[in-house]
Amino acid sequence: MYSKAWTMIKLELCNLYGCNVLRFSKDKKSRKKAAVMVAAWACVIALFVLYIGALSYGLVMAGMGEVIPAYLITLSSMMIFFFGMLKAGNVIFRKEGYDMLCSLPIHQTAIVVSRFVRMYVENLLLAVVMLLPGLAVYAWMEHPGAAFYLCSFFCIIAVPFLPVAGATLIGALVTAVSARMRHKSLVTAVLSVLAVLVILAGTSKISAMEEELNLVQLAEMVSVIFSMLGKLYPPAVWIGSAAASGNILVCLACFGLFFAVFIAVAAAVSIRFSFICQNLYSNLAKHNYHLGQLKKESLLISLCKRELKRYFSSSIYVTNTMIGPILGVVFSAVLLFVDPASVIKEIPLNVDINKLIPFAIGGIFCIMTTTATSISMEGKNWWLIKSLPLTTKAILDAKILMNLVLILPFYLISELLLIIALKPNFLELLWLLIIPAAISLFSCVYGITINLHFPVFNWETEVSVVKQSASSILGGLGGFIIAILCVFGITKIPENYMDLWNGAVCIVILAVTAVLYWKNNQTDLRKIG
Amino acid sequence: MLKIEHLTKHYKGSSKGVTDISLHIMPGDLYAFIGHNGAGKTTTLKCIAGIQDFDAGEIFVDGKDIKKDLIGCKQSLAYIPDNPDLYEYLTGIQYLNFIADIFGVAAAAREERIRQYADELEITASLGDLISTYSHGMKQKLVLISALVHKPKLLILDEPFVGLDPKASIILKDIMREICAGGGAIFFSTHVLEVAEKLCNKVAIIKDGSLVASGNMDEIVEKGQSLESIFMEVVNDSGSIAKTDMVENKKHSS
Repeated sequence: MYSKAWTMIKLELCNLYGCNVLRFSKDKKSRKKAAVMVAAWACVIALFVLYIGALSYGLVMAGMGEVIPAYLITLSSMMIFFFGMLKAGNVIFRKEGYDMLCSLPIHQTAIVVSRFVRMYVENLLLAVVMLLPGLAVYAWMEHPGAAFYLCSFFCIIAVPFLPVAGATLIGALVTAVSARMRHKSLVTAVLSVLAVLVILAGTSKISAMEEELNLVQLAEMVSVIFSMLGKLYPPAVWIGSAAASGNILVCLACFGLFFAVFIAVAAAVSIRFSFICQNLYSNLAKHNYHLGQLKKESLLISLCKRELKRYFSSSIYVTNTMIGPILGVVFSAVLLFVDPASVIKEIPLNVDINKLIPFAIGGIFCIMTTTATSISMEGKNWWLIKSLPLTTKAILDAKILMNLVLILPFYLISELLLIIALKPNFLELLWLLIIPAAISLFSCVYGITINLHFPVFNWETEVSVVKQSASSILGGLGGFIIAILCVFGITKIPENYMDLWNGAVCIVILAVTAVLYWKNNQTDLRKIG
Repeated sequence: MLKIEHLTKHYKGSSKGVTDISLHIMPGDLYAFIGHNGAGKTTTLKCIAGIQDFDAGEIFVDGKDIKKDLIGCKQSLAYIPDNPDLYEYLTGIQYLNFIADIFGVAAAAREERIRQYADELEITASLGDLISTYSHGMKQKLVLISALVHKPKLLILDEPFVGLDPKASIILKDIMREICAGGGAIFFSTHVLEVAEKLCNKVAIIKDGSLVASGNMDEIVEKGQSLESIFMEVVNDSGSIAKTDMVENKKHSS
C-alpha cells in the first residue's frame, strides 16, 4: 500500500507545473514559452518577496517584530485557503486518468493521498515565498537563538496543512453536493463562489469588531494584533508565537496537530472518494430523443452559444473568472451603505472618490477575464474549430462576445448601484459609464492576444490552464493593471485637467484595443497549436 | 476535386513530416491512403483539411487554392479525424446543429439529413444525450453525420472504420459509394488493406513521408496479387526496389 502510494505521489509530482513535459520536450517553441512563464512567475515572486520583506522590516522598526511569524502565517494560510477552495474539488476529484487508475491494483486511498500531497506541495511553495522573507528579516534584525531557525523550519512546512485540509473539505463538500445534480459544474461554481463570499463577509466582520478595539487599546498594539489574529486564525498565533520565542516543543506539538488534521481530512475524503467520483463522472443518458423541428442560427450566435456551453461546463473556469464581476457588484453595493467619503479616508491617495471609482470598478471587473484562457480551454477539441470554414475573426469574436455577455449584467447592476450611491454629475456619470466599459473591452481583447501567444492544448486538468498557465497570469490581469496605472495617473494630474485625462485615457485604451483586435484577427490559426 | 502538388511539411525539431507529395483526386474517386504508423498520412490529411499549415507545395480543393481561399476550401470538404475528440459538453443534436449553422445548412435540409443518417446509423434516440456519455463508436457515428450534414464535395477521413460496429461499417461503405456515385470524392487513410482493395478505385502508398506509389487500384494490384502483398513489398526496404520502380512508373498514369 505504502509503496503504491509513493509511486502515485511521484506520478503526481513529476509533472507539477508541466516540469516533466518541459524536461523531455524537444520543441524549442514550447521551451521558449516555458522560459517566459518562469520569468513571469519570477517577477511575481520577486514582488512578493520585496513586499513581505518591507512589511516585516516596518513591523520590526515599529517594535512589533514578534508578531511577524503569526501575521505572515495568517496571511499565507488565508491565501492558501481561498485559492485552494476554488480548485480543491478539481484537483482531488479530477476525471483525467481516473478510469485508468481504477483499473490498476491500487487502493483508492493511495490515489487520494497522492492528490492531497500534490495540493500540499503546490501550497508549500506559496508558504515558502510568503514566510521566508519575513522570517529572514526577523532573524537579521532581532538576532534570535538557534531554536528559532529550527522552529521556523517546522513552521513553514506545517503552515499549508490546515488551510489545505479546510479548503479540500469545503471543496469536497461542494463537489459531493453537486455530484448528485444534473448541472454539476454550474452548481459547483455557484456553491464555491457563495462559500468565498460568506467567508469573506465573516472575516471582514471580525476585522470590523477589532477596529473598535484598536481605538481603545492603541497603546498595546502587539497584543491587539495578536488578539485580532487569534480571532481570525488561532493556529497562526499558536505556532507563530512559538517560532518567535524559539519554543521547539510547542512548535512540534502544533506541527503534529496540523498534520493529524490533514491526515484525518484525507482519510475522510478517501472514504467517499469513489462514490463522489462515480456520481461526478456518470452522465445521464436517456436514449429517448425524438428529432423535432430544428432551427437555423446566425454564425456568431451559434459560436457564442457554444462558447457559453463550454464556459458553464467547467466549474473551475466559472469560479475563477466570475469572482471579479461579483466583487465589482459587492463593492458597488457596499458604497450604498458606507459613506464614500469615509472610504477615501482609508485609501492613501489624495483624490476625489468619484474620479477613482470608474477605474477601480473597471479593474475589479477584469480580474481574470475568460478570454485569457478561452483558446487554451479548447484543448483536444482545437482541431475541430480549425477544420471548420470559419475566419479567425469569427472564432475570436465569439470568445470576446461571450466574455462581454457575461460581464454585462454585473456591469449594469454595478453602474445602477454606483449612480444611486455616488449621485454623480453629468460628466462624472459619463466617465462612470465609459471607463469601466473601455477597460473591460480592452481586457477581453488583450486576453485573446496573450492566449494566442501562449496557448496550451495538451493539458491534463483545467486547473493548469485556468490557474497556472502563462496566459492566465499575463492575460487575466491586463485590465486590472491598466486600471491601477490609470489610478496612479489620477494622483499626478491636477483637478482641472481630470476630465481631459479621463478622455485621453479612454481614447488610448480604445485605440490600443482596436490595434490588438486587428492584429489578433490577422492570425493564421493553423499555426497555433 | 483535389489536387496536391509537391506538398512538403516538416515539424520543427522532428524528422517527421511529408516531402514532395503530389496527388490528383477526381470527382467519383474513392481513394485509399495507406502507410505504416508515422508515415505521414495524418499530416497530409490535416494539411488538406486546413488544420495544419505546410512549408511548400500547393493544394487545390474543388479548384480553389487553399493558400488563397482557405475558408472556401473548407466549405467544400468535411474532415473526420482518427480520434473523434468532440465537444463533450454538448448533446449530439446540439453538436449537429452547431456544425449545420457553421456551414449555413437550411433548417429543413439539416433536419432531413440528420434524420436520414441518424436513423441509418441507429443513434437518433441518443442525440439528446451529452456527447460525454457516448462510446467511441457513437462519437464516430456522430462525427460522420456532422460531416454529411452539409453535403460536402470532398470527404477526408482518417481511419474512419476504427471503433465502428460491423453494421455501421457496412453502412459507411454504402454511404461512401453513394457519395462517389453522386460525383463527390473521398480520400481516406486506413490500415485495413482488404477494405481498401475492395472499396476503392485508387490507392496511394506513403512511406517515411514520401509517396512511393499511387494510381488505379487494378493497375497497382495485378492479378494473382493482393494489396497486402504489394504494400509489404513496397514499404519493405530490402529487395523491393524493382517492385517500387514498377509502381512508381505507374504513378500518375491514370
